[in-house]
Amino acid sequence: MNRTFVKLAITVMAGGLLYSIPAATQVSPTTKRAAHVRITKGPEMERIDPDFAIIRWTSNNPGGSPEHYGVVHYGTNPKDLSQTAKSPIRLNPGHPDTVFRVRMEDLKPGTTYYYKVNSMEANGKDDGVKSMVKRFTTEPSGKDDVANSTAKPVTNR
Amino acid sequence: MQRTTLAILSVVCLMVLGVVMTTKGQEPEDDQAPKIYNPYPPGILPPDINSELQRVLREVDFIEAKTIAQWKASKPPTLTGQPPTLQGTGYQAVETLGKLMNYDKNMSPERNSACASCHMPYAGFSGPIPSVNLTMIAYPGTLRFRAGKRTAQRYTYSPRYPVLQLYPDQGLLFGGNFWDGRSTGYLLQSADAEQAQHPPVDTQEMGFPDTACIAFRLSQAVYRPLFEEVWGKGSFDIKFPPNTAEICATPGGAAVFGTSATPVKLSPVDRTRANSIYNHWAQSVSFFEDGPQVSPFTSKVDANIQGLPGSAYSPNELAGAILFAGKANCNSCHLDGQRTTLTPGQTQTGTFATNARPLFTCFGFSNLGLPLNPRDAFFYQTKPDPFGFTPNPLGFSYRDLGLGTFLRSGFGSAPNPNDTWKQLAPRMDGRQQVSTVRNVAMAPPQCPTTEAPGAVVNGTNVGYFQKEFFHNGYIKSLKQLVHFYNTRDVKKFAFPVTSGHCPKGTTEKVDCWPMPEVKNNIDMTIGNLGLTDQEEDQIVIIMQDLTDGFDPAHPGVSTYPDIGTFTGKCMQGGSAKTQGNDFLIMTPPLPPCASAVCGVSPFPTMPIP
Ligand code: HEC
Ligand code: HEC
Repeated sequence: MNRTFVKLAITVMAGGLLYSIPAATQVSPTTKRAAHVRITKGPEMERIDPDFAIIRWTSNNPGGSPEHYGVVHYGTNPKDLSQTAKSPIRLNPGHPDTVFRVRMEDLKPGTTYYYKVNSMEANGKDDGVKSMVKRFTTEPSGKDDVANSTAKPVTNR
Repeated sequence: MQRTTLAILSVVCLMVLGVVMTTKGQEPEDDQAPKIYNPYPPGILPPDINSELQRVLREVDFIEAKTIAQWKASKPPTLTGQPPTLQGTGYQAVETLGKLMNYDKNMSPERNSACASCHMPYAGFSGPIPSVNLTMIAYPGTLRFRAGKRTAQRYTYSPRYPVLQLYPDQGLLFGGNFWDGRSTGYLLQSADAEQAQHPPVDTQEMGFPDTACIAFRLSQAVYRPLFEEVWGKGSFDIKFPPNTAEICATPGGAAVFGTSATPVKLSPVDRTRANSIYNHWAQSVSFFEDGPQVSPFTSKVDANIQGLPGSAYSPNELAGAILFAGKANCNSCHLDGQRTTLTPGQTQTGTFATNARPLFTCFGFSNLGLPLNPRDAFFYQTKPDPFGFTPNPLGFSYRDLGLGTFLRSGFGSAPNPNDTWKQLAPRMDGRQQVSTVRNVAMAPPQCPTTEAPGAVVNGTNVGYFQKEFFHNGYIKSLKQLVHFYNTRDVKKFAFPVTSGHCPKGTTEKVDCWPMPEVKNNIDMTIGNLGLTDQEEDQIVIIMQDLTDGFDPAHPGVSTYPDIGTFTGKCMQGGSAKTQGNDFLIMTPPLPPCASAVCGVSPFPTMPIP
């Protein structure tokens, strides 16, 4: 068999693979899993409110299911990170890195929390991310009540 | 406009409507005086609602008449072969049939509401009434003014959504039609065909009390011969009881029907025939939606992917395409079919297409964390209408959990035909369909933009066409849409308030985002993208390039079928950033989420306030 033919056959096959998913099932693909998922930036606090926070970090693209969850294990005692917050994100198969961001609801104002992070696939499979324990303190409560600005009231009969 | 003026105007309009409707010649079966349902506080219904509904109906009739003429002039196909096939013009025949159905106002009890009443071509087959898009967000159905709860979705390319399925690898559901995926397609094997079976019997839409009313009204349609040609001569061989006309002229939900879904009494054989007509109705409509008159793949982006002359991107368009796939990460959900290993500075020429016809959706579902929109007409329909039907007994304790509620077969959705998915509901609460971005920017040629202050054509500002975006219409321009994705989570913009209560000194949708309606499962791919104002604009520009009807030889003239049918008024002035803000109203104090929504097992992962 001559070499150009082999090349051609391979190209055609690769093309076949690409196009084997008909247009009508153009759903987000499951992609090849990374051998190791390592944090390359963070985790760090993107936002801290009195009762709410967002933690953010970047890792290499973990691959696997197109939806992943960023997971934060946290608590007020560094030895007991038994609370969990998690938020979904979408992997972008074209991006080498993935940013995870997790919302933490119902926190106590003016309180120090300890946390570590991980990520997992939408079906629950752990990405095996190692993170150190870090901490943050929520803002104190007592922000001014917010007053109405421009909108008009509508009376509900 | 002053509130009193608004109120007076509404009253005047109602009176005018009353006169028009009682003096108009009606067929015997419709001789009952039309009843009006208006549970709304002043300012919820737009003052021009009646004239606008009539305007759209005239446009619908115009397209219907044109299509009838085309059908009469067309060459009939020949049924031949084994299995028998409509050789030659079979495609055209089914498509024309679907189009005739789509624009037929007789497919509603009061003969005043067609599919197209809420989906017109010049709006990319979404809602055609600017004032409705600005205010009540949901469209009135056959019984004025019962209305639904969500925006009338664009349906270009919706036949491309697969049957709703769980993909075990992905751990996700993909497919289905409607914002909440409730049209699964499990029976007809087409989510979109099955979709067409919902509006005719949706109490707030076309509103028939029985699916057999479609068979009945089709049996009287001028285009009945075309139906018989396509689906068989004996299709309408049904013995309808004498009271069918009366039943079919009464809107669904009426107390007289009790809980019956089949008030038209048919023999089992005739019921099966009527059901088969209903399936053929659905399939014909869907074929039209999938065809070149609705979903033609003729946008500038398509031309660019094909490398057609005259389709090269300007620097801003190119920047927008790169942002869409890169920094803004839009294509992680709105798949653009391109190979997107982009690094800063790298350009995407379009020649790397891995899918030549990307649909700009993944067919999935996400919760974007939109605020509750207190203008939504649904919240106010708490009292019984003249037929004894109450569209939303829950009032403001209704919350839109989207796919989550559908999986639980919950209030305001539809029965879920797959029990094994119910357990997924807590992970799906708040999620809505990832819509295609295609045609989101489509607007009538008179004012070919959705963005205030309007399009400049030959040096003059011709204004804009007001649309509404996302499932609850909270967003009023594409600029705002991108700004929301960009800044939803930015600390200085996020306030623990409901819509209408942004703090003094802030402007809602500019530097104040009220809290989300459903905080469960909020997607965090987006929300703090770090885009500049200019980058936001560039993303708007590339979305505008996804409008079908682009002709490289005449870039300013749309080739999109029936786009020229808008006879209403364009809007002028203002800015895309604050578009629609004059119509913000204060969200009333919200009662907790009703147990009919949030108290259905499996329960949401965290309480929904
Ligand atoms: C009264 C207004 C109204 C009428 C009449 C109406 N629709 Fe809709 N349509 C809507 C609304 C609102 C939605 C979104 C509803 C939801 O998701 O809960 C919608 C959604 C759709 C979708 C889903 C698109 C997608 O991508 O999932 C399709 C398709 C559609 N309509 C087609 C039709 C057809 C066909 C008819 C006639 C048989 C029709 N509509 C009649 C208002 C209307
Ligand atoms: C996590 C998935 C996801 C990402 C990332 C995403 N979207 Fe969306 N998009 C959605 C969902 C879900 C909807 C429908 C949401 C709703 O109505 O509640 C939507 C709707 C839209 C619509 C249609 C709105 C309408 O009313 O028809 C447009 C346009 C759009 N997105 C543009 C974008 C742009 C631009 C970006 C990038 C800045 C983006 N999307 C990123 C999931 C996503």
